[in-house]
Amino acid sequence: MGMSITQDQNASAATACLEAINARFEGTGITASVEHHSNAKKYAFVRMTCPPQHWIALAKWMRHDLGVNYCSMVTGTHFPDGPDERGWEVAYHFLRQPIQDQTPNTHHVIVAEELAGMDIPMEFEVFMPLPQGDSPSVPSIQSIWVGADWNEKETWDLVGIRFEGHENMHRVLNPHDSPEGFHPLQKQHKLRYHDHNEMYDDAQGFMRKPADEGRVK
Amino acid sequence: MAEAGENFAAFNSRALVEMVGGVTDEALKATRIKKFLGVLAGRYFNWAGRKSLFTLHLGIKCCAIEMAAAATPRFDGDRFGVLFRSSPRQSDVLLINGPITKKFADKVVRLWEQMPEPKYCIAMGECAISGGPYFQSYNILEGVDTVIPVDVYIPGCPPRPEALIDGFGLLREKIIRIGGAPSADRMSEKPVIVGED
Amino acid sequence: MAQMWITMGPQHPMTHGLWTLRVKVDGETVVDTEAELGYIHRGVEKICESRDFTQVTPYCDRLCYVSAMTWANSYIYAAEDLLEADVPERAEYIRLISAELQRLASHLMWLGAFGPDIGNLTLMTWCMRDREMFLDLLQELGGSRMHYNYPRIGGVKRDMPIGFADRVIAKTKLFEKRLDEYEMMLDESTIWLVRLQGVGYANAEEMVNAGVSGPNVRAAGVNYDVRWAHPYSVYDEIDWEPSVEKPTSVKGADCYDRYRVRMEEMRQSCSMILDALNKIPGGMNTNYASGDEMIYTKAPTRAPEGATGFSNYECTRGASQFYIQGGGDGRGKNPYRLSIRSPMFITIPFVAKTMIGYKIADIPAIMGSFDPCIGETDR
Repeated sequence: MGMSITQDQNASAATACLEAINARFEGTGITASVEHHSNAKKYAFVRMTCPPQHWIALAKWMRHDLGVNYCSMVTGTHFPDGPDERGWEVAYHFLRQPIQDQTPNTHHVIVAEELAGMDIPMEFEVFMPLPQGDSPSVPSIQSIWVGADWNEKETWDLVGIRFEGHENMHRVLNPHDSPEGFHPLQKQHKLRYHDHNEMYDDAQGFMRKPADEGRVK
Repeated sequence: MAEAGENFAAFNSRALVEMVGGVTDEALKATRIKKFLGVLAGRYFNWAGRKSLFTLHLGIKCCAIEMAAAATPRFDGDRFGVLFRSSPRQSDVLLINGPITKKFADKVVRLWEQMPEPKYCIAMGECAISGGPYFQSYNILEGVDTVIPVDVYIPGCPPRPEALIDGFGLLREKIIRIGGAPSADRMSEKPVIVGED
Repeated sequence: MAQMWITMGPQHPMTHGLWTLRVKVDGETVVDTEAELGYIHRGVEKICESRDFTQVTPYCDRLCYVSAMTWANSYIYAAEDLLEADVPERAEYIRLISAELQRLASHLMWLGAFGPDIGNLTLMTWCMRDREMFLDLLQELGGSRMHYNYPRIGGVKRDMPIGFADRVIAKTKLFEKRLDEYEMMLDESTIWLVRLQGVGYANAEEMVNAGVSGPNVRAAGVNYDVRWAHPYSVYDEIDWEPSVEKPTSVKGADCYDRYRVRMEEMRQSCSMILDALNKIPGGMNTNYASGDEMIYTKAPTRAPEGATGFSNYECTRGASQFYIQGGGDGRGKNPYRLSIRSPMFITIPFVAKTMIGYKIADIPAIMGSFDPCIGETDR
């Protein structure tokens, strides 16, 4: 049978991470919890909420002491209608992967069910709510994970969240000559034809009235 | 470095070429050879051109995979003379097979301008025709015909390779009609759409 | 000799998509590189904020167009996490079979594009011919050759047609023999070996730190596959092994290792498909009606404020993740924020750095061996 990480391994790894985080960061404003996916095998992962001022410390500790070696996603979200302390949010996703460089001409066989302790792969989610305002900013983790580099560039490019300490920030997806301050995923920017969504709610036009004559969509 | 927009192909003896050409032109017109040659050469070049449409090797998005599939053994566009060239200077057809972003728009225009006449443009797939599923996007042009003139539209998302080959067939019929007319003078032609009967 | 910057792209036959690779050369040797993306940035994340959850699936097909089924599945898992939908087991098996068929088609497309880069034009014709076999199978399932819109939140759109299983078995077994032909042509060819071995070393630690995953990392001897590390679907009930290449150098994996990994993966996919067909609940030759509870459970269509969904999926080019936030206008009918993590977005700048120190002629080999797909990079 194909190998896979078992429920028990996953649950034990999640609780071990949770205990380590709480032991290190209790009382600093960094909260952690073990959540479960509702999809696939309903496995557990670790979710943390961290205020921006402690982020670098948490990130370095995760990298070096918790073994989180893979930064996968940096997502920025704009909440213009949200509460005052959560006008923006940066969500980081990390993975811990059991990787080590292989000695040449060897083939280290991993048996998933035999992985233990820090070798068990685990997903981490870190939320960072930022207060309402026009210039949200977070410390950059570019020096800690190389994979965060382009992710942060993309988040700044699309959402407008600044990353302090990020070297060589430039637009990656939008054209380089986009207007300064144009970050399309902010909620005040609307799509073209955004108010014609009735095209999707009423594709065949059954609700069209004589007054809509001549309107394209 | 040349300024943007300057014609790189201009060379100093253009005036000389035009003068020699003008003199030869008058001589041929006088002996009525020009008209005879024109008809003969025109028909011949038209036949040669439409039977060997060199397409630019430009793959933008998903329709590029169907374009590649049209060149493969099952559908085989090569038997119709459709060959892919890497340089726009050596191609007759610009096959746009994906959405055009603002970043790529001026490069498409530059590719189009680099192609020598007679040249044709085929818009393949919904994204090239009208923006496709991304028509609402902040970064996508609503169709490539906003920046370059298009001769044949091939709808589909993605169109099957057979539809692309049919599009080339309709382009050949159009070439019989319009011959070597420069692309800028073709705006009054009714657009050719694959599948419209 | 003076150094100069050469621009490769965006229109370039070797770049496998629309991106610019600026190379600084000193004679023939590459001294520095710079990658520029964004030529097909369509703003999919923004568009999906005004689409229903079911309407987002076709957009995800078009992210990485060469392997559409895996991306649609990846999104569907995230949507199921968000909407808390259950999936019947037969649907999971069908998803596995369709994803592995798509993996075969995608790797064949990769090989068919990689061969001409090295100079082997025959590979293009052979691989596309074999890819057509799998596209026909996927067309039976999904309705179209490339963008299927096949998985649904809570299951799949329709069941396998009658006789589909027999055709899959026949074609897969034929393809396994064809793989032997490919290996005979390539692994015994001096030109192929000389062009690929010793070129484009990429170290495992650096790759993981940079966020590279999938076959590229497995080529460095590292056994990491999302299918066993963060299991989803029914991979633990199928007989399979992640394909890993033994490293032969401390410098890491070269192009030849990355090519071997994908050939092995194709073999594994073939055996996975055959095994799944034997084990599918309900039998391989039954066809349940669309909407039947064996293949689909109705899922909620609205996500409350504050709900999030996250999926980790092994796409053909690496680990793809979707992160969806619910809530917002429309009372949760649309995703408030849909974030897509493309493995290639991180890999391409890494590949650009891998090329430093090699010759210009090695650039297509290195670029092609990492299997770039710009559709998913530029969302």
